[in-house]
This record gives sequence, structure tokens and C-alpha cells, in this order.
Amino acid sequence: MRNICISRGSYSQGKELAEVLARKLGCECLSREDLVEEATKAGIAVGKLETAMLKPGSFNERLLLEKEHYHAFVTARLCERMLGSDLVYHGRTGHLLLPGVSHVLRIRVVESLDGRINSAMAKLRIPREKARRYLESVDDDMRRWVRTFYDVDWETAGHYDLVVNLEQMSTGNASAALCSVAALPDFETTPASRQAMENLLLAAQVRLELAREERTRDSSFRVLAERGVVLVTYQPRDARVAEFVPAVVHRVPGISELRCTMASTSILWIQEEFDAAAESYRQVVQLARRWNAAVELLRFVPGGTEEVGPATAPPGAAATAPRSREYNGGIEDDVEHPAEGEDGGLRRTQDSLAGDGVAGGAHVACCRPDRLLDKLDSRVKYTLVVVGNVFLQSGEAARVRKTRELTSTLSDILKAPVVGADELKKTYMFSPGQAVKQILYLALVAAVFVLVFTHQETVVKLLHSEGTRAKLLAAIGVGVLVPCFAYLYGTVTKFLLKLIRIE
Amino acid sequence: MIPHILSDMFIELNLSTAIQVVVLGFIGGILSGFIGSGGAFFMTPGMMNLGVPGVVAVGSNITHKFGKAMMGSRMHGELGNVDRKLGIFLILTSFVGIRFAVWLNTMLFEGGTGGHGEGGSAAADLYISLIFVCILSLVAISMLRDALRATKEDSGPSQRIAEYLSRLKLFPMIHFPVADVRVSLWVISAVGLATGYLAGTIGVGGFIGVPAMIYVFGVPTAVAAGTELFLAMFMGAFGALNYAFQGFVDLRLTLLLYLGSLVGIYIGAYGTKVVKEIIIRIVTGVIIILCVISRAIAIPMYLRQLGYVEMNPEWDRYFNQASKIMLFAAGISGCAIILWNVYRGYQRRKQVASTLKIARAETVA
Repeated sequence: MRNICISRGSYSQGKELAEVLARKLGCECLSREDLVEEATKAGIAVGKLETAMLKPGSFNERLLLEKEHYHAFVTARLCERMLGSDLVYHGRTGHLLLPGVSHVLRIRVVESLDGRINSAMAKLRIPREKARRYLESVDDDMRRWVRTFYDVDWETAGHYDLVVNLEQMSTGNASAALCSVAALPDFETTPASRQAMENLLLAAQVRLELAREERTRDSSFRVLAERGVVLVTYQPRDARVAEFVPAVVHRVPGISELRCTMASTSILWIQEEFDAAAESYRQVVQLARRWNAAVELLRFVPGGTEEVGPATAPPGAAATAPRSREYNGGIEDDVEHPAEGEDGGLRRTQDSLAGDGVAGGAHVACCRPDRLLDKLDSRVKYTLVVVGNVFLQSGEAARVRKTRELTSTLSDILKAPVVGADELKKTYMFSPGQAVKQILYLALVAAVFVLVFTHQETVVKLLHSEGTRAKLLAAIGVGVLVPCFAYLYGTVTKFLLKLIRIE
Repeated sequence: MIPHILSDMFIELNLSTAIQVVVLGFIGGILSGFIGSGGAFFMTPGMMNLGVPGVVAVGSNITHKFGKAMMGSRMHGELGNVDRKLGIFLILTSFVGIRFAVWLNTMLFEGGTGGHGEGGSAAADLYISLIFVCILSLVAISMLRDALRATKEDSGPSQRIAEYLSRLKLFPMIHFPVADVRVSLWVISAVGLATGYLAGTIGVGGFIGVPAMIYVFGVPTAVAAGTELFLAMFMGAFGALNYAFQGFVDLRLTLLLYLGSLVGIYIGAYGTKVVKEIIIRIVTGVIIILCVISRAIAIPMYLRQLGYVEMNPEWDRYFNQASKIMLFAAGISGCAIILWNVYRGYQRRKQVASTLKIARAETVA
């Protein structure tokens, strides 16, 4: 099965290249415009979404829902077509639509600005300067669209398998080269990549079914699927519609189990081996409950070299490494379900989290550390990322260094606090040291109150003194005391509310 | 005991008054955490109802805002929601607005010889109340109109003004990297001046700053809120120093306000997690309208004190009481709605486990 996604700009010959390529491969060619038309017919307000998407600050809850529906619709249609036959898709963000499906060849087509201006001048019959301004404006809109939808940069080459510059190459020659690339074993469908696509299809179908149903249409849901097990996460504000979810979801065929989690946010927990009986599990669950968060598990099996063999990989890793290449983009097990105990405790931990009401889905990533996040949906914002035991095959010193490097990389990419599992207690739980600090702050707050309220007359006189020097002193006194007091009392309040789980 | 010479400016604080100020802070904090902007629209008139002269109420509240915004801005900064460049441009112009507001308030207050409700204080009180009623009526009406329209149409905040101004291209145009917008320096200056003036006059600059950033500059909502807190921190500091220099800050009131508000903010912020955006806007709009009515009720009293209307001075007490009751009714009912939703949020959390079991059982069946 050959599945190709081409990301193209306006007048960059991307459409022409896609059509020639589809003809050469003898497969269907689908454009973004076709999908938009289908979505509009299905009742999704793509026009409004498009207008709002291009203008900052214009998103309301209704449009955010429309965005969810549109994303699910496009994912479902692409997956249906790609699972059925070969397909060349060309649009804006096809390369980001199917995360974790390794057999999809992601191509970016670029053309020189002069070439694009000439094409635009010829087609639109407009002067050169106007054509240049038009293309710059369209490119800006496109960048904004990708940023708003996926929170990534459109131009980042790392999101593509191949960037084709048509400045020197004809579309015919470029398509011939792409035919050869598409025939490489790296882009062949494997059972794992097919499974990944089926998972995405099932999740998208469930999301669409929830959008079609009157009672659940106006609520936001995040849906994940894994071999028939569907996880629906919803916001606390939508709790009243949660009771309808099972009945609606069951209309979609192929579901073996449904799990629902109410959460306002997500915590990403990355480890190589999970253990539901460990102390770190208890701490993560405690934190998730306090924050109303769902816990998303990511089992990371480091494999940065060509071969991820049994000699260097932990138990189960060999089975989850699908083929000998660097990038495999996510769940990559060619075999059927890994046996209990060979999945690094992932399934058992996931079940425990579901039992605790904080399950947020699970993934396996068997790749280099810098490609770790390819499996994840870039639209999800994490409140916290917890990095537990990783690089278990390395020695102690190397493990510490590699974990630190991984933590630093994740901090840069995810824009969320990243902490080690061993730091959880110190950072987010209560320790005797913290209690002493809070008591000290509380004592200082009390002292300020006692001083001010037992000497009201003096304070008032000081505040309303005559003379520039005295006035200046009063102003400085207020300017220093007030922020200090706010900091001390604010810290104590936050601590006390944490104790009663209001955060 | 407050010296007689200062009793016009600083009220006598007994336990009952102190508790009322803490409650004002608590309700203001809840509203502030829930709405994400201000809380002064409740606290300033509330203190005036307790007999605090308007200018001291504004001075004490802006000082309170300084520390509060400092804490909030730190958190927003960590989330990357603060456009510092935009904040700095607005700060510079807002300082001019604040300075003008402080000068005007001081002049009106010192223009008379009497205390609260007797000449000078009444002039400043009337001026503050009128600005309060006019500005917050506009804010509440637009907020409610937006909320009701959003239920019918699927549109977000209107971008017509932002689009019009960006087409105008009044040079020099400045690019703001975090918000990703280009805005004319002249437009920024006008908004900064207005925000500073209102923050200095009634202590509610955020009600102008945030909508202006969204509607006029086209800044994303989260960045507008974060940048406003960054701005509020500096405006609060500048306003606090100015008012403190003039002797119009009652430190006792500021500390008591903190006692309630910093607890309230966390509870209010928790409320936003469990209430839909449309409900937040409607609740906010209704609370502001009620606060406006409360302040409007007190206006005839100031008019009489200034000799503009003939009225029995005994009635002042009733106007003041009616205004106070209205304000507390607005604040308490708003808080009750928010606290009820917070409670329901907790309850729903408990229901999760059972939802989960039902779902799995049905699937297995």
C-alpha cells in the first residue's frame, strides 16, 4: 500500500506534482479542497473555522468544537481511503494528520518565490508586486493555520520525510524520483503501521459519532483508540453528558472496550518499565486527582541505531521494534499483542489508572530520544511531564546523563514543566521542610498584622505625613511592604488550599 | 483610635468593619479568579459603602492589585502567555494615564473642605461613581450581548476594529512576537492612556485593557490576559506609589483585602475549570450590571451633598444602605453561583469511577 501526503503552498506546483505522481503510481489523488467540500456537506462549518483560524483571538468554544469535528472528519476520511487503496493526498497539513503511521510518505514541495510569483501573475492576471503581496499573505495565513491547528511550524523540515524543491526539477522528474522513494521498504505498510492507522480511524469515527449525536454534540471530547479499546476523555464541565457517551460510542463497530475519564488537563508519564505498585505510581495518581488530570502513559524503549536487537534492548523491546530503520514513529510491534509482562507493565498500569479514574491513554515509542514525541498528538497541551526510569540498559552514570538530556529536550519542545519521577515528592507533594517554611511565612504574616493593627494610629499618621521626605518614605514603605506581604500570604494560602486539594 | 484630623480619610476599624472588608476581598477575589480580570469593580464601591472616601478606596485597592497581579503575572509568564514587548509599550503610556487620574482625583478631593459626603469627598466620590457607572455599563452590556449572540451564532469576538486599524497602517507599525500581531504605535498609546486613566480612576484598567488587546490589537485571549496581568503589576506599583505619596493608601484596608482575596482567587480560578465559557460571561455580565446599579443608587446622595439636588440629609443613610445591600447581593449571589459550581465539580469527580464502571460493564455485555 502506497500512501503519500504532500504539503504544498500556493502556486508551488504541489498540486501538479501530486497529480502526476498519482498517475504514475496508478492510484487515487485527493486534494484538501475535496475534503473541505465533503466536510462542508457533512455540516462542518469549515468556512467559519477557516476565517477564525486566520485571525488571532477569534476562537470561541463553538469554533474549538468545530475544529475537533473537522480534524476527526479529515482523519477518518483519509484513513478510510488509505486503508482501502493507494492514495496521494495534497494539502496543507496532511503530514501532521496521521501521527505514528510510519508507512505514510510525508513530502513538502517548495518552489522559488520568483517562480510562484510568475505562476500567480499568469493565472490571476495581476501585476508582479500584487502577486508577491498576495503570496506572502497566503503563506502567512498558512503558517498561522498550521500553528493554530498543531502548534508547530509549517516550515520545520523535521516533520517531513522529504523536501522537494521544484526550482531546478520538473514535476515529471520529481514524480519519478518520488515513485522510487515510495517503493522503498521504509514506506511499506507493516501490520504495526496498519494497526496504527486503524486506531486513528476508530478514534476519529467515535469522535464523529459523538459530534453527530444531539446530546453530545456541544461537548468537547478527546478520543484515543488502541486495538478496539477506546478511551474517551471529557472536561468536568461536560460531566452531565458523560452518561450518554457509552450508548453513542457503541454505534461504532469494532469497539471491544470503552473507558471514560473526566479530566481538565493531562499529565504525560514517560518510562521504560511501568509498575502499578510503585511509589511513583501512587504519587502520579495523587497529583492527577488533585489537578483533575488524565495520566497518559508513554513507554519509551530507546533505540537510536539501525538495529534494535535483543542484545541491547530490554525484554519485549525486540518484539516492538518493527524493522531495521531509525524512524518508526510510534507503536511498532509487528507481532500480535505482546504477552503480559513483555509490555513493560504498560497494560497493567493502564488498567490500574482506569480503575483510579485517571486513565489518559497509552503509547509505545521505540525510537531515538529526539523522535520520542512523534507518536503524540501535538495539539494536546500537557500540564506536567514526568520522566521516570528510562535508558535502563545504560550504566548508572550514562543513565543520569541521558535522562537529563531527554528532560531538557522535552522541556524545549513541550513548553510544560518536565520533572523526574523522583522529584515529584519534592516539587509537588508535601515535605517537612515545606511545612516549616510555610509556618515561618505564616508567622511573618501574623507579625505584620499584629504590628499594623496594634499601632493603627502610628501607621495612619505615617501614611499621611506632611513634607516631601516623609511622603516619599511612606510611598517606599508601602511599595516594599505590600509585595512582600502578598508573596508571603499568597504562598501560605496556596499551600493551605493544596492541603484541601483546591489547585 | 484614629486621630480626629485624619478621621475624614481613614475610617475607624472595628472587628465588624474589618470582617466586612475581608468579605469584600474574598468575594472580589472569587470574582477576580473566575472572571480573570479585576474584582475592583466590587471592592472599590464596597469600601465606599463602608464609609471609605472614594479616593482612599481606589488608592488602597490599586495597592492591593499590585501584589495580586505580581503573583498572577509570574504564573502566566511561566505558561508563555505574556508578551513583554507589548506590555512595556502599554506600561509607558499607561503611566501618563495613571498620573493624570491621580492628579484629577487628588484635585477633586482637596477641592472641598469637608469629609466623606461633605464637599470635597463628595465631588471625588461623584466623579468616581459616574465614571464607574458609565464604563462598567458599557463593559457589561457588550459582555452580555457577546454571550447571547454566541449562543445563536458561531462567531468569536469581532475582529472588525483590529482589521480596520491594521489596514490603516498608521506608521510606525510595531510587531509583537508572542501575540504575533502588528499594531500602530499611536493605537497602543491611546489604549495605554485609557487603561492607565481608568486604572487610576476606578481601579479597573483590566476591563479596558483586555478587550482592547483582543478587539483592537487582535491579540489571542490567553496572551491578552497574561499581558494585562504583567501590565497591571507595573500599573499597580506606579498607582500605589503615587497614591501612597499623596497619603491616600490605607494600608490596613489593603492587608485586610489580601486576607480574603488571595483565598478567593484560587477558588474562583477553580470555578472556571468546571463552568462553561458562556455561563462565565453571563454570570460576569450580570454581576457587573448589579454593581453598576448599586453605585448608581449612591449618586443622588453625592449630588445632594454637593448642593445640586434638594433632599433630606437623613435619606443619605437609606441611599447608602440600599447601595450597600445591592452590592453585597450582587457579590454574594455571584459567589454563590461560582461556589455551587465548584461544589458540583467536586461531586462530579466522585461520579467518575461509577461512570467508568458502567461504561465497561455495558461494553462487556
